Amino acid sequence: MSRQYNPAIDAYKNMDIENLPDKTEPAETTGLLAKRTNIQSKGLDMNNPAVRVGMQMKVLRKQREEIKNATS
Amino acid sequence: MLQVEETLFNAPIPGESLVAELGARPWQSPAKITTVDEAVDYYMERMSSEKFMEQVVEVMESGVPVAVIANTIQLASVMDGVHSVDVGMLVVPIIMEMMMLLGDSAGIEYNLGDEEFDESISESKIAKAVSTYRKKMQEDDVVVPTKVEEKEEEPEEVKITGLMARRK
Repeated sequence: MSRQYNPAIDAYKNMDIENLPDKTEPAETTGLLAKRTNIQSKGLDMNNPAVRVGMQMKVLRKQREEIKNATS
Repeated sequence: MLQVEETLFNAPIPGESLVAELGARPWQSPAKITTVDEAVDYYMERMSSEKFMEQVVEVMESGVPVAVIANTIQLASVMDGVHSVDVGMLVVPIIMEMMMLLGDSAGIEYNLGDEEFDESISESKIAKAVSTYRKKMQEDDVVVPTKVEEKEEEPEEVKITGLMARRK
């Protein structure tokens, strides 16, 4: 439609939600003042807003796929 | 004829729009939403309304790419001072995904806007457009004006008889 650069496309394509880092665990700390890790967010850097966006996208993508599978 | 008198020196000075007082524009004041989570909640609430759903599905169906609509939505919020540009860029993928979810649930075909721009128009598209145009013209009974060849009258030759006249 338009040849103008649209940053939204790159932002969307760079959200690699299929490969979210759910297996990389943070380095263990053993000190008394160590941060307690949340069980749900284990392995994910939830402080990173992009990760949180990715998680939300994953939920929406799942719903989309359910709709697609239901109609096809 | 009625003429409105305009004062000559009451026009804006070139560049006047660039010298507004700092903070006068909405995007120059602190954003209302500062985190991505708040922005996501804000957009989800807006996009869940029936009116928005109908409008966005209509626009997507007309062929406007999803990326263009999403970018426009977030830019409008930036201009209104709702959130900053960086929060907007982080939220854009969610807006796009949500819009695609709406499109899928409505059962429409849409395009993401990531395909390469094709400058050439295929022959079939041109033929289709021409046939649609002809059909519409026939329906409306419009007489298409045909080109009338006009013959230009040749100027009569005037005999010049002076001494300085050009020889043929």
